[in-house]
Amino acid sequence: MKLAGLKSIENAHDESVWAAAWVPATESRPALLLTGSLDETVKLWKPDELVLQQNNTGHCLGVVAVAAHPSGIIAASASLDSFVRVFDVDTNATIATLEAPPSEVWQMQFDPKGSILAVAGGSSASIKLWDTATWKLIDTLAIPRPESSKPTDRGGNKKFVLSVAWSPDGRRLACGSMDGTISIFDVNRAKFLHHLEGHYMPVRSLVYSPVDPRVLFSASDDSHVHMYDAEGKSLIGAMSGHASWVLSVDVSPDGAAIATGSSDKTVRLWDLNMRAAVQTMSNHADQVWGVAFRPPGGAGVRAGRLASVSDDKSISLYDYS
Amino acid sequence: MEAQEEEGKNDHVLRKLQESVDSNPDDASLHFNLGVFLWEKEEQEEEEEQEWKEKAAEHFVRSAKLNPQNGDAFRYLGHYYARVSVDTQRAFKCYQRSVTLNPNDSDSGEALCDLLDQGGKETLEIGVCREASEKSPRAFWAFRRLGYLKLHQNKWSEAVQSLQHAIRGYPSCADLWEALGLAYQRLGMFTAAIKSYGRVIELEDSRIFALVESGNIFLMLGSFRKGIEQFRQALEISPKSVSAHYGLASGLLSLSKECTNLGAFRWGTSLLEEASKVAKSTTCLAGNVSCIWKLHGDIQLAYAKCLPWLEENWNLEIDEEAFSNSILNWKRSCCLSAISANYSYQRALHLAPWQANIYTDIAISSDLICSLKEDDKHNPNSWQLPEKMSLGGLLLEGDNNEFWVTLGFVSDHNALKQHACIRGLQLDVSLAVAWACLGKLYRKEGEKQLARQAFDSARSIDPSLALPWAGMSADTHARDPTTDEAYESCLRAVQILPVAEFQIGLAKLALLSGHLSSSQVFGAIQQAVQHAPYYPESHNLNGLVCEARCDYQSAVASYRLARCAINTFSGSILKSHLRDISFNIARSLSKAGNALDAVQECEDLKKEGLLDAQGLQIYAISLWQIGENDIALSVARDLAASVSAMEQASRAASVSFICKFLYKISGQESAIISILKMPKELFQNSKISFVVSAIHALDESNKLESVVSSSRCFLASNEEIARMHCLVALGKLVKQGSEHCLGFENGVHHLRKALHMFPNSVLIRNLLGYLLLSSQEGEDAHSASRCCIVDPSHSPNKEGSKSVFEILGAGAVACFASSMSNKKFSFPTCRYPCMSGLGAIQQLQKWLHREPWNHNARYLLILNFLQKAREERFPRHLCTIIERLNFVAISNQLYLKKDTCCQYQKFQLLLCASEISLQGGDHLGCVNHAENASTLLLPDCYLFFAHLQLCRAYVAKDDFKNLRKEYIKCLELKTDYCIGWLCLKFMDSHHELQNELSISELNFKECSKERKSSCDKWMALFDLLQGLISVQNQDFLRAEEFLAQACSLSDTESCIFLCHGVICMELARQQCDSQYLSHAIKSLMKAQEISLIPLPFVSTLLAQAEASRGSKAKWEKNLCLEWFSWPPELRPAELFLQMHLLARHSNSGSESSSCVEPYQSQQRWVLRAIHLNPSCLRYWKVLQRLMQ
Repeated sequence: MKLAGLKSIENAHDESVWAAAWVPATESRPALLLTGSLDETVKLWKPDELVLQQNNTGHCLGVVAVAAHPSGIIAASASLDSFVRVFDVDTNATIATLEAPPSEVWQMQFDPKGSILAVAGGSSASIKLWDTATWKLIDTLAIPRPESSKPTDRGGNKKFVLSVAWSPDGRRLACGSMDGTISIFDVNRAKFLHHLEGHYMPVRSLVYSPVDPRVLFSASDDSHVHMYDAEGKSLIGAMSGHASWVLSVDVSPDGAAIATGSSDKTVRLWDLNMRAAVQTMSNHADQVWGVAFRPPGGAGVRAGRLASVSDDKSISLYDYS
Repeated sequence: MEAQEEEGKNDHVLRKLQESVDSNPDDASLHFNLGVFLWEKEEQEEEEEQEWKEKAAEHFVRSAKLNPQNGDAFRYLGHYYARVSVDTQRAFKCYQRSVTLNPNDSDSGEALCDLLDQGGKETLEIGVCREASEKSPRAFWAFRRLGYLKLHQNKWSEAVQSLQHAIRGYPSCADLWEALGLAYQRLGMFTAAIKSYGRVIELEDSRIFALVESGNIFLMLGSFRKGIEQFRQALEISPKSVSAHYGLASGLLSLSKECTNLGAFRWGTSLLEEASKVAKSTTCLAGNVSCIWKLHGDIQLAYAKCLPWLEENWNLEIDEEAFSNSILNWKRSCCLSAISANYSYQRALHLAPWQANIYTDIAISSDLICSLKEDDKHNPNSWQLPEKMSLGGLLLEGDNNEFWVTLGFVSDHNALKQHACIRGLQLDVSLAVAWACLGKLYRKEGEKQLARQAFDSARSIDPSLALPWAGMSADTHARDPTTDEAYESCLRAVQILPVAEFQIGLAKLALLSGHLSSSQVFGAIQQAVQHAPYYPESHNLNGLVCEARCDYQSAVASYRLARCAINTFSGSILKSHLRDISFNIARSLSKAGNALDAVQECEDLKKEGLLDAQGLQIYAISLWQIGENDIALSVARDLAASVSAMEQASRAASVSFICKFLYKISGQESAIISILKMPKELFQNSKISFVVSAIHALDESNKLESVVSSSRCFLASNEEIARMHCLVALGKLVKQGSEHCLGFENGVHHLRKALHMFPNSVLIRNLLGYLLLSSQEGEDAHSASRCCIVDPSHSPNKEGSKSVFEILGAGAVACFASSMSNKKFSFPTCRYPCMSGLGAIQQLQKWLHREPWNHNARYLLILNFLQKAREERFPRHLCTIIERLNFVAISNQLYLKKDTCCQYQKFQLLLCASEISLQGGDHLGCVNHAENASTLLLPDCYLFFAHLQLCRAYVAKDDFKNLRKEYIKCLELKTDYCIGWLCLKFMDSHHELQNELSISELNFKECSKERKSSCDKWMALFDLLQGLISVQNQDFLRAEEFLAQACSLSDTESCIFLCHGVICMELARQQCDSQYLSHAIKSLMKAQEISLIPLPFVSTLLAQAEASRGSKAKWEKNLCLEWFSWPPELRPAELFLQMHLLARHSNSGSESSSCVEPYQSQQRWVLRAIHLNPSCLRYWKVLQRLMQ
């Protein structure tokens, strides 16, 4: 289990790169890397040489999140002013523009079947679900307000929702908030189930294990990565090692390793059996906002790939084996 | 019809064949063909068919005789002898002949082998196959047969060779793949085996053997999930398969163990419930298999160990009875499960009493039942059940070292324990468990030296064993490792095995080593509560962990549970324990803001006389929080009385507490008096120094001077000193400022010196930046953003101090020029160099991205965007962004608060919204927002601007009645910001609101005088304004006077000089006065000189002025300069025309000055001018002249 640097593009964007996601391969092309940046553009890169395929403009503020549909045909990008642009990956034609009040769009993810786009609703303390056929808002999963809390408590938006993740079976949604709690929802019944506790600072990134729909990984500003039994509501692993905020986490397709990016400018690879960091990449010169493993699939593509993006405007690609 | 036709055809063929045989009786092949035809002829009647076959056989015999090399003939003969006239011997010979002739003939080969198989002649069969396989590599039938036979004989590696070869011939034969898989499995090549089985399932998905076996391999390799998957699939095909059931149950058991080891008890429990169901149904299918009962026992035992106590939502009022009932219920279900395990083991033993390991299983389960029931083991002399049962195992297998260790663990007699462990070690010296058991025993006995040795051996043999690590961490006193090391080893123990005792130990060590807020400890203690809810320690430590993570509500609930647990489950209640818990409750309650209950707790403690120094502090604070100031003060006095008897550390805390408390309750004066009364040696601590210095900073009379200076020498670290410098600077701000204005200069001065000493102190830099911004001196705003450093990995700022981003953002708003990214839109005349490309908007977006909930970030971003929009003349897309951002920002609940800071931000945001509406042409919205702003609770000097904005709105609406009203309102409210008066004056002059010497002018003068250093600058601006007004009234002479005055007041503002120059030029033109011309030249040159970036128009005007004085060289030079003063895309058409003039002169032979763009003809310059502005007739005329 190791990472080996393949390619690094300095100044891939004009400004900090904030978001990264892989667009799954289609019949006509391999998987592509999608990145979003403060320079208001979204770019598509072709591995392994990271050849720039496309440069999408149109956002008015920095791009905070990108997400790709499991079919690999469409993708979505969201900026700080909370416009979500849904576009055709190959032609860059706009398919839909979803609008929400600013600060009410943060991370996004398509469900595994591709019929719903879940958007972390920021200050609305909820997850917004958009139908991917009609691009209408179909549901809002709100985090219930604890009874004891006062409404004016520090502006009342303690539950600012930053991150969202679908379980691989599509039945559960998890979202992470600013106060460190993670909320689990039953999607079919549109019902809040419970909170997962253990973080006490903002939870910036969440991902479910691809091999077990109960296991959830979370990255938080308290510099820890947690592993939860999301159904049984228990913390089953805490991994420490980063010196600062952990901004992003992704799990390898085989479910045996996770990668994290942090404010301490490093990318770490963690062995889940040992529950320890097995490798630290320090090739970035500034905080690493996104890490993403390439999903399996596509013609003749076996090798594992990990991409990382950073405030230093660069993108790096690694071989994972 | 068809059948008849067919028959007719057959007859015809038969006749033909017969004829050809008849005509050529010596041709072997003809005989053979006829034979084959007859052999394959189908008849309804069996007898008839037999007849034909016999005829065929005759022909085959003939054919074989004629051509003995034809193997096929022999094969048919073989078939004849084997099936028709049953003569095995002859059949065997024919087949053998056929195979010898053609080893690839699978029909005869198979038939031959079948014959041999029936006869039980296995060796012969192998011989035949081997012979054929050696003769031809394509004799796949032989390889296959050989492979199966070898498999049958358990010769796995030979079988693999044959099977691999055979598969080349029959790649889609599931049987072959299955056989190959089995061979690999037996050889221990599990991955290869899994692949082979996978191929089988691919070919035929109903192969239960392959599914079960690959499931078993997966379980063996530890891939429990995949194994379970295989077994489930097998059960779908064959729901009664015992082996699939067994495999599924054991897979679930293994997976649940994996979960339990991670601490996912509920997950483990749910898996075990399913496993138990599966195992139970297996026992129904096959009730007499010992190992199934053992599996069921294992599952039940694991369930008894894994089942967590479900922590219900205990409210603040905890019912002790309900709590103890819930724990008893939990224990009961654990116990029931253990008993069920015990029964299952007994059944297993009943079925197979020779299985020694089941004895130990029973021993272990009995031991668990005993511990859950908490039976007192009455008679120490008689054998206990667990001991007896493990002895049973040992009687059967006395040399099994593990049985000895089990005995060691379940026994209660220390001597027996030791004996058992040592016996185990005699059998195998590298038995880590035995060493660990010995270590535990020795520790209990107090033999620390021996215990350490035992643990060390155990750890060196097997570092993945939890107990030695835990033992090592418990050994803190014996070997004296630091608590950090102890914490680390205990953490390792907990990670290997989540046992409640280890976890409680970990939390205790975390408390000592300061790791309480760590996630690992949080996870561990939460799990400990699930498995040891009857220990008060687990709840108490859980409370401490929650408290360390600022979750006070949960902390209080946990402490209360701890109190319940101590009352219900501890045999003897220690008073000190109860006191500690009550104290914890009081502290958490007070932190959670529940002062009333905290006071109650403290009073209870006080009644029992258990309140110590810390308790007194909490008592005092809580009393103060509920408003009982007098009692609070008396408590503080009690505390003060006991200070002298305290240790150094708690003394410092108490003293600083008393000082702060006195200041809060009785105010500054009495606090100072009390401090002066206290003995000096109490203040010898850095913490106290900060408290005293803070009070001192606010005290005008400097009574604490001596106390402060003596305590300051206890500041140790650089960071502390830097912090103290900040405090001192703030003190200077307060003390040396005037009545209305803080003494920013003094503070800034002090911090500049401090920064020189600590150049990398972020704290000082930020405070300096903040003070510079706050000082309201125009120049300082520029340096503010320069003294801050943006550190990407900076830790989030603490409450109270300003972050770098805030200073950058505010600085960018303060100076229009510093936020400018490109010079496309305007020409800033700010003469303070700003850090170009700083990109305040980008930095603020970065900030907002890091802290999206931060309203300050959003606020500053909006203001910066407004600045940018203003610079770019309010383009549509920027207005939309601002509008959207603003909408969210204004609706923030925070702005419902009444304090000035929030109201001011809201005011700014509303004005911003109003401005955007105004620019977008939405007058109504503009008025509404501005009116909203004017109703906020703010000082008049701010509200002035809301009304000013209203004035502008009414101007845009041409509503002069309201305009006048708002104007008068402005005059009434007044402001002390000069810019406000300037704007008002401007409005006034434009719309003739007031004719006499306006009040605004008087007010302006008054307020600009207050700004000492920048008074002249403001006056100059006022003169500039008046000059412009005069120009508007066509009174150029007056304008010149005003502007000349402005120039004399401010010699740094290039714009004023430009204006003056322009007016002078105009006057020179009107009056043909060369004196004005020289004034103009002087001012324009000055403007050229002082402006940091070249201003447009200045040079061209200068060129004209110089030209009218007849200096051609200066004219050319200045025109060139003008060309470069413009960004390329903004150059006006007129400039190109001017260039044409320049080109004409350089063409006509004077000294070449084609510095601009060489080789451009006059004509081209004119064409470019026309291209830019085709509507200007003058250009066309010039072109016409040129063309002629």
